[in-house]
Amino acid sequence: MNARTLRVFAALCISLTALGAAAQEDGVLDSAVVRNRLYKPAGHPELSLSVGLPVQTHLTAHYFFNVGLAYNLFDTFALEARAGYAASRHTGLARSISESFLDREDKRVTDELEDLWQMNLHGVIGARWAPIYGKISLVADIPVHFQTYLWAGGGLGNLKRESVIQCTQVVDRAAGVCDNRTAVDDRGSATENYWVKESRVAPVVSAALGFRFFIQQKHGVRLELRDWIFKDSYRVNLLRDDWEAGNPTGEPAGSPGLTHLVQFDLGYTYSF
Amino acid sequence: MRPFRSIALLVAAVPALALAQGAAPAQPPAGQSAPAAAPAAAPGSSGPETTAPASPSPAEPPERSRTQRDAPAVPQTAPDAAPASRPTDDDAEGTPAQGPQAPGPTSGTAPESPPSDAPVLDSGGEAPRTTDAQQQRLVNGAPLYNPNVNVHIVQKKRFADEGKHELVLYPGVVQVNGKFTNHVGTALHYVYHLQENFALQVGGQYNWYSDESDFNLELIDKVREQAQAASSLLLQWGAHAGVEVTPLYGKFAFFNNSLAQFSLVLSGGAGIGKTRHLIRPEVANEVEGQTYQVPARFGDTGNKFLGEVGGGFRVQFGESYAFRLEVRDLIYTARVDKVDGCNLADFESLEAARAANQPFEGLNLSSSCKVAKFDGVDPETKKNYREDIILGRDLVAEPSSDVLNNVSFYAGFSVLF
Repeated sequence: MNARTLRVFAALCISLTALGAAAQEDGVLDSAVVRNRLYKPAGHPELSLSVGLPVQTHLTAHYFFNVGLAYNLFDTFALEARAGYAASRHTGLARSISESFLDREDKRVTDELEDLWQMNLHGVIGARWAPIYGKISLVADIPVHFQTYLWAGGGLGNLKRESVIQCTQVVDRAAGVCDNRTAVDDRGSATENYWVKESRVAPVVSAALGFRFFIQQKHGVRLELRDWIFKDSYRVNLLRDDWEAGNPTGEPAGSPGLTHLVQFDLGYTYSF
Repeated sequence: MRPFRSIALLVAAVPALALAQGAAPAQPPAGQSAPAAAPAAAPGSSGPETTAPASPSPAEPPERSRTQRDAPAVPQTAPDAAPASRPTDDDAEGTPAQGPQAPGPTSGTAPESPPSDAPVLDSGGEAPRTTDAQQQRLVNGAPLYNPNVNVHIVQKKRFADEGKHELVLYPGVVQVNGKFTNHVGTALHYVYHLQENFALQVGGQYNWYSDESDFNLELIDKVREQAQAASSLLLQWGAHAGVEVTPLYGKFAFFNNSLAQFSLVLSGGAGIGKTRHLIRPEVANEVEGQTYQVPARFGDTGNKFLGEVGGGFRVQFGESYAFRLEVRDLIYTARVDKVDGCNLADFESLEAARAANQPFEGLNLSSSCKVAKFDGVDPETKKNYREDIILGRDLVAEPSSDVLNNVSFYAGFSVLF
């Protein structure tokens, strides 16, 4: 499937390139038309705040809150440092799996699930390349200027992981209880749970495609599709008897792959 | 009286300004040449800096011929530099220094003060922005060189859509919200632009790859859980008709070198789609010491009503070409109570016959049940199709329903004619 997909995308790229070349030859592309940029960020530092919402959730959901400090080396290129905190949680699907798997004793040897790490504190440094400057006509005579940019960078993230498979102290197998709740149907009363937990600090890579809409000289609104990527890590060949006895079990997965947290970011930018 | 005269001159200049601002997608006669002298020349300035060539080169856009026609109509009632004030329009900004000015039609006496709404110069003290004829050419109908003219660059679409047909091929349609399913396909749309901002569209899409996601298979493998049948229904193909509107348009420059016009397109429609469900993933079948790879098997789950909403960008290259980047959501209701036409009662009968090793002929099955799909042995893989009966029954044992959103990214190009 991958090879077929690659072939299709290669054909698509070639087709689009050919279209652009044909248009250039025909003289339908003017040169330097948006020559008078109303907003020239070069040489200006800027501060930004952003909130990120998950585009899709499987077993975890993240809500990012970021602060960024950038310096525009050129109109089209900037360096930016971003740091923040991601509020994260298990999804309802993960909770459902954890509750039902406690009672599934026919599965006594299994592997941990992928992509269960949750990111909290994080910081990255990256470059922002904005080759496209444009304007749109909102309503009749209100032109809105924007930049389209690509962002790429790396840094560190604080990660934590709570298993939905390994419960070290089963309280009620049939009801799927693995915490100290006071009543079986009152999950909120629990102050502690007995799922296996891990934490680590790991390298994080982030990439984004975004739009920055200028508002007057100093303000801006940013819309981004951002991916946070880090290496996954989980254990395989886990034995139910061992984990339910509170003993470590299994071994690390050989090639755990990468975890992607794809977010839709909405941000505000202030240029100094 | 001088202010009144200035105002009168400004009013008289309005039609000329309108001409100057109007984009000129229409082609003026090829032989039309520009007047020799650039009227935007500042009084007193001399030399080739302010002189246009006698005739434009063929490579120059036809709008050029309007350059010399428009500028003289711009009155310059304030020969001396006006106080610095940023132009209000987006394309009269930048750093318009005291640039070339049209000779003022008034006498040599300076007016006392220009009207408040008169276009003014930014006396940034910099050199004139335009110095030669090449820079003075009109760009999309806009005399960008002239700081005295307020130009709404995003004012007129360069290429009109009304009455045009558009054929769009999306070679790559990739599902982006696939939690339990993955789809990759190709789509072909036909769009008729009834009006400039409103079009009718009809289209079809074939998903040449549609399968359950790795995530769903991981759940089955590791925790014996899987999505409900209705939540993991696969869309094989779809056809729909609807409308498309383009409420916004704009333009952008890539690295200041190339200009492209784009529109924001929003679409909606309804249609029909054919669905299927995975009965059995690809497995290895061992028969008499030989291993055969058995491809995944899918069961037909019928045609479903399809709704479609979407939005994206259409970037136009010239009159005839465009490419589109869109996100569309195909919404379909999913209720799985039959697989390959067989309902739960059919599967129960088939399973009972299979367990007893009896032939399926003579069983009391519903007329839609395609019993042949669950009988016999595949000659290539030696897979006994009867083994799939229990898997089919599991899908309909608990009839499930859902409303699925198949959100996909569409990348394609179109031809307008």
